[in-house]
Amino acid sequence: MVKQDMPEQLQCVVFTLNHEKYGINVMQVQEVLREIEFSPVPGAPEFVLGIINLRGNVVSVIDARTRFGIAPREYDDKTRIIVTRVHQQMMGILVDSVAEVVNVMRSEIEAAPNAGHSKTSKYIDGVVSKDDSILIIVDLNKLITML
Amino acid sequence: MAINLEDDILQDFLLEAGEIVELLSEQLVVLEKTPDDGDLLNAIFRGFHTVKGGASFLALNSLVDVCHKSEDVFNLLRNQKISLTGEMMDVFLQVLDEVHRMFNEIKSGADPVAVPELLIEQLLAMQSAVTDTKKPATVRKKANKKSAVKKNKNIKQVSEQFLSSKGDISDEEFENLLDNLHGAGAAPKAIDSEADSSQSGKNDQISDQEFEELLDQLEQKDKAGALGSTGVAKSKQGKIDDLITEEEFELLLDQLHGKGKPPDKVVAAPSPPVARPAATSGVRREFTENKTETTVRVDTSRLNEIMNLVGELVLTRNRLNTLRETFEDQRVHKAISTLDLVTADLQNAVMKTRMQPVKKVFGRFPRVVRDLARSLNKEIELELRGEETDLDKNLVESLADPLVHLVRNSVDHGIEIPEVRLKAGKPRQGKVILAAEQKGDHIILTISDDGAGMDPEKLRRKAIEKGLMDSITAARLDEKGCFDLIFLPGLTTKEQLSNVSGRGVGMDVVKTRITQLNGQVEINSVLGKGTELHIKVPLTLAILPTLMLQLGTRKFALPLSNVSEIFELCSKKISVVDGREVILNRGRASPLFYLRKWLLKRNESELDVQRDAHVVMVHAGNTMVGFVVDQVLGQEEVVIKPLDKLLQGLPGMAGSTITGDGNIALILDIPGLINAYS
Repeated sequence: MVKQDMPEQLQCVVFTLNHEKYGINVMQVQEVLREIEFSPVPGAPEFVLGIINLRGNVVSVIDARTRFGIAPREYDDKTRIIVTRVHQQMMGILVDSVAEVVNVMRSEIEAAPNAGHSKTSKYIDGVVSKDDSILIIVDLNKLITML
Repeated sequence: MAINLEDDILQDFLLEAGEIVELLSEQLVVLEKTPDDGDLLNAIFRGFHTVKGGASFLALNSLVDVCHKSEDVFNLLRNQKISLTGEMMDVFLQVLDEVHRMFNEIKSGADPVAVPELLIEQLLAMQSAVTDTKKPATVRKKANKKSAVKKNKNIKQVSEQFLSSKGDISDEEFENLLDNLHGAGAAPKAIDSEADSSQSGKNDQISDQEFEELLDQLEQKDKAGALGSTGVAKSKQGKIDDLITEEEFELLLDQLHGKGKPPDKVVAAPSPPVARPAATSGVRREFTENKTETTVRVDTSRLNEIMNLVGELVLTRNRLNTLRETFEDQRVHKAISTLDLVTADLQNAVMKTRMQPVKKVFGRFPRVVRDLARSLNKEIELELRGEETDLDKNLVESLADPLVHLVRNSVDHGIEIPEVRLKAGKPRQGKVILAAEQKGDHIILTISDDGAGMDPEKLRRKAIEKGLMDSITAARLDEKGCFDLIFLPGLTTKEQLSNVSGRGVGMDVVKTRITQLNGQVEINSVLGKGTELHIKVPLTLAILPTLMLQLGTRKFALPLSNVSEIFELCSKKISVVDGREVILNRGRASPLFYLRKWLLKRNESELDVQRDAHVVMVHAGNTMVGFVVDQVLGQEEVVIKPLDKLLQGLPGMAGSTITGDGNIALILDIPGLINAYS
C-alpha cells in the first residue's frame, strides 16, 4: 500500500520496538525527547501514557508498544519520546530507542506481508530491505487518525 | 453570476450588509410597537436601500430585487402614504428571513436563490395600497441620456454607494455605456469594467443623480422616481457642483449612521466597486480629515492570539514569582514586582478587548419572543435589562443558544394563555425579563417570567414515571432538587411534542453548555407566580483561578469558584451513611470522597491516608461535597489548556495547565468527576 503522494525519496527517522526497526517520515517528526516524564490522565485509554509540557504546549504521549500490540517493558536510558506533528496536531510516541535517519527510495518499498499482525497492518505503509534488516514504514497519518 | 469568495468587496459587503440586516431585525420588532416612529421608518428604509446598493454592485440580482421592493414600501411608509399593518409586519419579517437565507447561500459560495414569487407579489401589493400615487415627474429622465450628462443640476441626496461616482467616466463613455446597457440589461458590473477601462477620461464627472437613474434603469424599476423624489426632498438645496463635497459626504454619513459613529469600514473601503481603482482617494482623504476614527476592526483570531500570548506571559510571571525567593538581589525583587503589576494590567486590558456588550446576544430575542408568542396565541412582553454589560466574545457566542432555549421555555411552558392568566387574576400580557449583571468576576444572567411557575411534585412524579430516578431518591429531593430535575435528559411535563418543546432534550444540553463554560445554573420557582433562572458564568474563559492540590506526587487544580471551605481531615467527624462515608461540617453531612482513589493509579493510591490530609468542601450543583486530598498547595491562576483530541471528553477532566514550576496539573471538572466516579 504505497501512498501515491510520497516523494521519490523518503527520509525516515528509524526507531526500534522490540528489536524491530520502524521508520516514520522525517518531515513529520518535530523532535525527540530523552526525558520520559509524563502526567497520567485518569480515565484515558490504555495506550495513552499521559501528557507532557512541551515548551508551554500540552502534548499527549502514547505508548507505541501497546499500540502495536507488543507487551510493554521497563524504560531504560535508550527509551525516547518522538514528538510528531501531523496537521497541526502534535503527539508524542514512546519508543524503545531512536536510531538514525535513513534515505529510502520509493521504489524500494514493498507491500507489507499481512502476517497476522492485525493491529499493526493498518498503520504500515510497506517494508524496505536495508542492510540485512527489514525497515517497517509506518503511516503516521493512519496512526493518528485511527486513534 | 459566480460568487467569488476571495473578492474583498464581497467580504466587505457581507460584513457590513450583514450587520444592517441584524439591525433591521431588531428595528422591525420595535416598529411593530411604534409604527409611527418616523425616524425608525427612515432608518429601516435606509437599511434596505444600503443593502440593495451594495448587492447591486455585486450583481446579486435576487437580493437587489427583494431589497428594492421592500425599500419602496418603506419609502411609502415613511412618507405616510400607507400605514403599517400586522400582516405587513409578517411579510417584512419573512423578507428578512429570506435575506438571511440568501446571505448564507452567498457565504457558502452559491448564487442566492430568489425569494418566492408570492413574497414579491405581497410587497408589490402593499405599494398599491397607496391612495395618492404621485408620479414624481421631474426627476425621472428618459433613457436617452445624452441630455442627462449636463453639469448644472442640483445634487440630490445619494446613498453612500454613489459617493465614489465621481469616478472617471467621461460623457462619451457614459453614453456608450448606457447604450450598451439598454440593449443588454446587463448587470451593474458592466459599469465596473467600463469605469475601469476609462481611467483616462477624467474630464467630465458623472453626477450622482445620473448614476442613480442609471441604476434604476438597470433594475428596470418604474418607481425609481419615488426614490428620486424623496432624494430631492432630502437634498441640500442649491448645490450646483457635480462633485460631492466634504460637507455633503459628512451629512450623508450622519444621516445614514447617526451622529458621531461612522462605520470604520467606510474608511477602510469607502468605494463600493464602481470605480474601484478609480479616484476615490480624493473623497477618502477628505473624509479622514474630517472624521476621526474611533474604532478599528480587528479579526477575532488576532485577539485570540494575543490572549494566548498574554496567557503565557502570565504563566511565566507566575514562575518568576515562585523563583523570586531564590534571588537575593533587591533589584530583582523590585523588577519582578513591577512585572507582576504590569502583567496583571495587561491581562485585564486584553480581556477587555474581547468584551462585547451582551446586547449582541439579546438583540435576537425580541424577534424570537414575538414569533413564538404569536404562534402560541399568547401575549408577551419581553424586557431586556443590563444590555450594556460586557462579556467576553466567546462567552457571548456560547451562551446564545442556551439563552434562546431558556427564553423559549419561558414563553412556551411558563407564560399562560391570556384567558388562563385573567382567571388567575394576572394581567393578560405576560412578562419575560432577560437581564444581565456583572458581579465581581462573574456575569449573572437572569431569565424570569411571571407565568405558571413549576410544581415540584409534578416534576418529581414525572421523573419517576419516566424512569429517570427511583422513587426513593426522588422522595428525598427538596424543592430545589425537584426543580433541578428539569435538567435531566428526557424529562418533560408536556404531554405532546410540539415544534417548540416537549422532546425533553433541550435543558440538559443547556446545562452541559453552561457547565462547559465553568458556569452554574440555578432555578427558583413559585407555583402560580413565575419562574426565575439564574446563570452564573465567569468573566473569562481562558484564565481560571484554581486551588492547587497534591495527590501523591501529582498536582491537580480545582476551579476556585467551586471551593467553599478547607479544613484538616482529622478535625472533623466522619460517619458512614448508607454504606458511604459522610463528613460532618457546620451541622451538615456531606458525602466524602477520596480523590486519590479516583485519580491516581492503583500503585500510587494505595498509600495510607496522611495524617495531615485535608478536606476541600466544594459545590457541585446544589450539593456540597468533600474531597480528601493529601495537600492543599494554594491558589493559582492558570491558563486552561484544552486536552487534545485523544483525551477530550474524559469525564472529570476539564483541561490541563502548566503550573508555576513547569509541571502539568490536570484541571478537574467537579460535576463530571462526581458523576463518573461516585
